Amino acid sequence: MSPNAALQSDVFRLYLLIVGALLVTAGGVLAVLTWGLKKNVQQVWVTYRAWLIMAPAVIGCIFAGREAMVVACALLAIFGMKEFARATSLYHDWWMTGGVYLGIVAATVVSLVADPFSGQPGWFGLFTTLPVYAIAFILIIPILRNRTQGQLQAISLAIVGFIYIGWMFGHLGFLANSNHPYGYLLYVIFSVELNDVAAFTFGKLVGRHQLRSHISPNKTWEGALGALAVSMALPWVLGFSFPHFGPVQRVLTGLIVGIGGQLGDLSISVIKRDLGIKDMGATIPGHGGILDRIDSLIFVGPLFLHMVNYFYGLR
Amino acid sequence: MNEWRYETAQDLDQTIVERLRRFPREADMLVYGIRALSALGLRAWLRIYHRLEVTGREHLPPDGSYVLVANHTSHLDTLGLLSILPLKRLHRAFPAAAADYFFTSVPRIAIAAVVVNALPFYREVHIRQSLNLCKQVLVNPGNVLILFPEGTRSTTGEIGVFKPGVGLLLAGTDVPVLPCHIDGAFEAWPKQRLLPRPGRLRLVIGAPRNYAALQPGKEAALHICRELRQAVLELAALNRRAGFRREGPVDQGAEET
Repeated sequence: MSPNAALQSDVFRLYLLIVGALLVTAGGVLAVLTWGLKKNVQQVWVTYRAWLIMAPAVIGCIFAGREAMVVACALLAIFGMKEFARATSLYHDWWMTGGVYLGIVAATVVSLVADPFSGQPGWFGLFTTLPVYAIAFILIIPILRNRTQGQLQAISLAIVGFIYIGWMFGHLGFLANSNHPYGYLLYVIFSVELNDVAAFTFGKLVGRHQLRSHISPNKTWEGALGALAVSMALPWVLGFSFPHFGPVQRVLTGLIVGIGGQLGDLSISVIKRDLGIKDMGATIPGHGGILDRIDSLIFVGPLFLHMVNYFYGLR
Repeated sequence: MNEWRYETAQDLDQTIVERLRRFPREADMLVYGIRALSALGLRAWLRIYHRLEVTGREHLPPDGSYVLVANHTSHLDTLGLLSILPLKRLHRAFPAAAADYFFTSVPRIAIAAVVVNALPFYREVHIRQSLNLCKQVLVNPGNVLILFPEGTRSTTGEIGVFKPGVGLLLAGTDVPVLPCHIDGAFEAWPKQRLLPRPGRLRLVIGAPRNYAALQPGKEAALHICRELRQAVLELAALNRRAGFRREGPVDQGAEET
């Protein structure tokens, strides 16, 4: 991955066109709704404006190359972790929080360095076994500090934080080391966000039955199934992202995005509901916190990566 | 199984700017880190560029809360006073800053909240509330409150009238207050100048005093203001004499003013 390679990649240029066209179309639809039909869509404008910044930022990172993508994912993980820690009060313990930050930095370094055995970028073997070392490290922190009170809670939250936000989300950055980085990265991010939008739209239009009444009252079965239908069709519509995929891999990709995306959303909702908060933060206007935005990617990134690795090898 | 206790951050649903504007602010690793680094930088800058000299450092209480009160002619006053505190007190020192000036635009909020750790003081409205914030700061042991009772930077370099707020805050409390005087800040970076020019800064810290014996009220407040202003004026005379002694002869008339 490099700016030059990006410009010469048909996949990258096609996505640039699709995302650009979608943003313009969405802006046009919103304009018609606001000034043509005089609907009150003020809140949607706020969300849309945030997309106008986020979409170019994501594409810019992918354009800039492998290192930029890995580091950008690491920064999102660190600030996502910060939101999680602030929400769960793990943040009162700066040693534990700092320990998780260190773990995220370690995952980033492992994603950047070359595999000492094959010489290829990204030390995949160590990356997949990193939780062993990270959990051991987190367990050592209270021992070093000679503390017991409240440590079980701190250890548990730190481990969840590292595995969930640091490591699972880190898989997205690791995809930059694969042999089809543009197709995989752009497809995963694009399809997951489209899946979210589809769930929201279907839910608004035809939603009747609550999907999980105690967890997220606004999500409906109709929205989830509509989104799944979109996600199942997408691997064929955007087949140019991975021309080597057969029907089995395309179906799996559809299922991973369609179901995994929803599960990612719901699992963050479980945490938020238990804490009694609405959003994980207010970093992105109209979207909530960073975690509220990347929640679906946390599930889809690792599942997609391991599916690809199983069938074709990552490199 | 017992339920876990979560203490979710109070400002979770606020944007970064809103979080910086509120007081008290939640502790933040990134903010503490930037503040510590900039404190080191500022201390070096004050030493090298402004040749900051401090006398009376031994008056600073080693623990417990206290109040620093000083004359105000320049932004350098705040930075100078912050730089004399031990680094471990850095995040527990709160200079009261005019909210209508420092907490209105994003760059100023960032500097006031992150670098200076300022307490937003509303000097036109809600004065009571701002004084209550100051009181809260002093309740927690180990905090330092920095006040400029003139309420604004002097445009002439002279020490103006002390506003009664400081008196209302201190009357009847046993928190020690240390009068201070900063000399040279007006010449180096007066209100009208955009950037500071090199110039020597001299800071004198006076002996601590407290007003626990006074009945809180207007009478006591005015008395405290007068006394503190007098103390700062005396330190000013001391400061200038010490400065002139080091820098050689000057004409008699200047020493009197």
